[in-house]
Amino acid sequence: MTTTVPPTTPPPPRPSKKPPAAPTEQRTASIGSGLLRAVLTQRVVLLVVLLVAVVVVNMLLSANGYLTATYDFDYLASALIDAVPLVMLALAELIVIVSGRGGIDLSIGAIVSLSGMVFGFAYQQWGWPFWAGLVLSAATGTVLGLVNGILVAKLGFPALIATLATWYAYKSIAVVINDQKPISGKAIQGLFSSVNDKNVWLIGDWIPDIPLGVFTYMLPVVVGVWILLARGTYGRRLYGIGTNDTAATFAGIDVAGTRMRAYALSGLIGGIAAVYLVAEFSSARTDLGTAGNGLALPAITIAVLGGVAITGGIGRVAGVVLAALLVTWLNLGIQLSFQGNEGIQFQLLALGVLLVFAALLNGVATRRYGGTS
Amino acid sequence: MSAPPDSGLARLSLTGVSKRYGGVRAIRTADFTVGPGRIHALVGENGAGKSTLIKIIAGAEIADTGEIEYEGAPVTIGDTLAAIDLGIATVYQEPQLFAELTVAENIFLGRELRKGARIDWATQNEQVVELLALLGLPGSLSTVPAGELSIATQQQISIAKALNGRAKVLILDEPSAILTDAEIEILFGVVRRLASTGVSVIYISHRLDELFRIADEVTVMRDGETIGTYPIGELSVRKIAELMVGGELTEHAGVRTVPDGDPLLRLERLGLQGSFHDVDVDVRPGEIVGLYGLVGSGVAEIASTVYGIDAYTAGRMWLCGKQIRPRSPRHAGKLGIALLPANRKLQGMFSFQSIAFNISVAHLPLLSKSGAFVDRLRERQTAVDLIKQLSIKTPSERQPVGAMSGGNAQKVVLARQLVERPQVLVLAEPTQGVDVGAKEEIYRIIGELADQGTAVLVATSDLSEALRIADRLLVIRAGSVAAEFGPGATQVDVLSAAAGGTAEHSDITGTTTLTTSTNDGTSS
Amino acid sequence: MTVIADPGADPTAPDAHARGRVLASPVTGQEFVLLGVIAVLWVLLGFSTPAFLTAGSLQPLLVEVAPVALIGIGMTMVIITGGIDISVGGAIMVCAVTVAQTLVTYEMSIWVALVISVAVGAGLGMLNGFLIAYGRVPAIIITFGTANLFQFLGLQIFGSSTVNGIPSTLDVVGRGVNGRTLGIPHSFFITVVLVALAWWYLRHTVGGRHLYAIGGDPVAARLAGVRVRRRTLLVYLITGALVGVGALFYLAKGTSTLDQSVGSGRELAVIAAVVIGGTSIMGGRGSVLGTLLGALLVQTVTSGVTQLGWPSQLSDLFVGLAIIVAVGTDLLRQRARTSATRSQR
Repeated sequence: MTTTVPPTTPPPPRPSKKPPAAPTEQRTASIGSGLLRAVLTQRVVLLVVLLVAVVVVNMLLSANGYLTATYDFDYLASALIDAVPLVMLALAELIVIVSGRGGIDLSIGAIVSLSGMVFGFAYQQWGWPFWAGLVLSAATGTVLGLVNGILVAKLGFPALIATLATWYAYKSIAVVINDQKPISGKAIQGLFSSVNDKNVWLIGDWIPDIPLGVFTYMLPVVVGVWILLARGTYGRRLYGIGTNDTAATFAGIDVAGTRMRAYALSGLIGGIAAVYLVAEFSSARTDLGTAGNGLALPAITIAVLGGVAITGGIGRVAGVVLAALLVTWLNLGIQLSFQGNEGIQFQLLALGVLLVFAALLNGVATRRYGGTS
Repeated sequence: MSAPPDSGLARLSLTGVSKRYGGVRAIRTADFTVGPGRIHALVGENGAGKSTLIKIIAGAEIADTGEIEYEGAPVTIGDTLAAIDLGIATVYQEPQLFAELTVAENIFLGRELRKGARIDWATQNEQVVELLALLGLPGSLSTVPAGELSIATQQQISIAKALNGRAKVLILDEPSAILTDAEIEILFGVVRRLASTGVSVIYISHRLDELFRIADEVTVMRDGETIGTYPIGELSVRKIAELMVGGELTEHAGVRTVPDGDPLLRLERLGLQGSFHDVDVDVRPGEIVGLYGLVGSGVAEIASTVYGIDAYTAGRMWLCGKQIRPRSPRHAGKLGIALLPANRKLQGMFSFQSIAFNISVAHLPLLSKSGAFVDRLRERQTAVDLIKQLSIKTPSERQPVGAMSGGNAQKVVLARQLVERPQVLVLAEPTQGVDVGAKEEIYRIIGELADQGTAVLVATSDLSEALRIADRLLVIRAGSVAAEFGPGATQVDVLSAAAGGTAEHSDITGTTTLTTSTNDGTSS
Repeated sequence: MTVIADPGADPTAPDAHARGRVLASPVTGQEFVLLGVIAVLWVLLGFSTPAFLTAGSLQPLLVEVAPVALIGIGMTMVIITGGIDISVGGAIMVCAVTVAQTLVTYEMSIWVALVISVAVGAGLGMLNGFLIAYGRVPAIIITFGTANLFQFLGLQIFGSSTVNGIPSTLDVVGRGVNGRTLGIPHSFFITVVLVALAWWYLRHTVGGRHLYAIGGDPVAARLAGVRVRRRTLLVYLITGALVGVGALFYLAKGTSTLDQSVGSGRELAVIAAVVIGGTSIMGGRGSVLGTLLGALLVQTVTSGVTQLGWPSQLSDLFVGLAIIVAVGTDLLRQRARTSATRSQR
């Protein structure tokens, strides 16, 4: 909340994003502070600045031969194969975190594992057509997400606990469902080109080597979530309950139902991402989304970095996508700066520093300008 | 007017105190004196300056001018800790205890007694048992987690906690508002006992009748000034009410002509367990009915029950001749009932969302294409229209409401109720925390809405608002309708009916404008 | 929903059980239930797999419980204050690999190793605590970030994929014969002693009680004179120090190599034990005794599943269900209590 407004004379409250025809003398004086303010309060602006900086610095390094491979647009584009699941799952986290009341989905990685196994059964072992397998996987993810939603929204479990419990349960089922063995075979191996093909139909020659999966998985999900949140009535209700639970009840919104759907949607996206990952690895692995640190941690990290407030009600699709791109391309640069495995470790460092930095920045922005958007 | 009581040396006295907030004068000039062992009531209407005066004594605010003397020596109370050090303790209306800690721990929190590394439970408990005994409470309470106690007991524990700093002045800020009659009686016992040990009690209450059972003297505030201090024996409820409202004439909006017709909304012996009972209200289309009552009288609950926050437990409710029972705000909204909630920040505003969002969020089915997509053009147009119609001061409908002034934000929340003209509009405290200019505009908007045929029910604890806006005014006391007034009502009559009304202490029973209201009396 | 007409009735009600006692019951209902469930499981497992109730089966079980319960002490305190620490997995790795590398390079006693490990852990915990208490950032976000940082740090110290040739200095707290006295694993014994100490601290000292106040309402606690920031910093520091001790337990697995999976996923295992033990994630309520029992229950289920010849990963399913049941019953209790308090109004 800004306190620049004297209580008796209400307007003008807090300059808008584009100050409507401010007097010229004020405008020139405040360009510097306005820019600072934009960087601090508009997460998208900050991310764009960082993204450009990362790409430019890396290209300069590359041009001067400091990197182990050429950091060019084709390379940037082909690295997107890693960004696809990151973007999708970070958007899933965006939805549940925005729903408020400590919303979070720790189970998303386990949902990916289990949905991926179900897809493996359908597509490889039962010989279902691809689309049917995809639908089944998505439906599985939705049901698993719905269980989270019921626990959190209807039964009142803290989201962290509910999804911790289902994380354990889902990942366990994913492993035992096929006797601890991954599912692979000709059918699934044939899927790899469907996500990694660089010769995209019609436009393949005109653009950098963007993997097909960006168009077939990432873009539909990004656009879908954007339409839902920014243009759909559901988005209004979701931001409403995330901003103020009580006011949402008074405004006649179905708070529990809206929040429950957020978790189901998160599961749905997890189910779609599962198919992508199965295709990318050419195998339905039992630990598809839970290996190592799992996919939930990076997804949540990207979401927070993208400006999603952990307290709910704040967060935009653009911010999350930019954050995922930033991390992907930064990682690429880091990877090319080192020989061997060393790079992976510095990627962890970069992710950690970015997150802590973003969180502290949120604190500063809140104290100075009343919040980020 | 009258001199401070002759109770020997004053314990605390304030002279010529004033306080401004920005351009608003909360206190013009206040003089206040309380002697040892006295129970001194402080009364006044909302906005008269009581709470500011209390904050100054408790160290939460610093006075702009004036002097404070404590036990004969001039002091400055710079912050709340300084007040506590002096021996001035404040108990606020809602008890603030830690539910998981025991009563003894709550009382000693932050100043625990130690024995080596360990908390000295035994001594601590002994002292708490003593303290509880002083308040007439059983010592066994000492080891019970505070969360397991009733609100009334928690409040008594808060008093014990306040006293534990060896308080010599105890400020009780509307302690009775959340208590039942039996609980109030226990509270009074505690307060009297404390006074008999020499503690000076400053007692704030809106319930004027109870002052006659507890207070030694009464200081009345009006418009930021202390009008005077009077021994309780010289007063009656009506006298206090007169002092509070002054000689001023009530300003009415002018008599509206309410079209005849069948009631649109009808509450018939409506009740909600633990809050109100046997409430009969009729509201015709185009009529503005006021429900006036003090905090804790049940007015707020009646408003929220009509809107389905709670489903009523007794009686019946009719809308357009059909019996209804709203189970949720969503249900009530579908029936055509809208509510402007009492607590704007908590129940009304989506702070960091835009004005347009705040207006459209309750009307998504209307402002959408096929229910799934927001019709942004119409959303924007609706917001722009309402901004103009309600004279909301803002450069754009994209502004977040969190940054707006109280009056403007309230208009935005009100605008939300007007997107689809409701059949019944319930307004709870419609102008709380709203500046004077915006107040008048909100009244104008409510009037216009009624002119279009909406049945309006205004639930308020603001007396002048109740009289200013209502075509017909029902006074709620202790959960039921105590009186009904037409347009000719005076402030003193209404206040007396709401705040007192027992025969020994007031003379309102003889007032002609007062009608007992089990029947649905008509106005005019 | 009856309104109690006589408020005097309410204060007298607790008379029966509270008289003469200075504090509420030392063991909570949830802890009794956990004890019962564990006992029933042990009996059932004892019947179905005779090997279960033998020293050869129970000793490894206790060895597995030790580090989770030990770090759980710190996590319980953190969660009581309303915080959380996602970074303990990474912190375990840093401590374990630091000690492993120094053990390989220098000859030193277990005490020196302990000091190093605890100092490193405390340092990491202090970083968390400082950022959370003074940066005014939600604990979950900060520790997500530092989890990555600690992993980076750990992997850097690893150098290669494993640390080999670790001497047997730490066997005293390991799973072998050297790690036991009278059949009781030393690591478990140490854990029980520290749990008892922490239990006493949380129950009987000013510092301990203040943690509950902070979790209940940090603003009100600050106004009451509780040093909220300092205490907050302290609980993360304690957690880090305990991670330092626990890392030694993980390191003393009986093999001379340490691989990069050390600590991975442990943060969630610890949080699960704490939550099953009845500590409220919302803060203000919890006990370390419950955490010990929670860790014991989880490990009993894990061992039981293996010994029954079921797929070992199936145990996670039961852990998930245990969390739901434990927190679910607690939610029901809370709800009954709030509605009871409300009806008294």
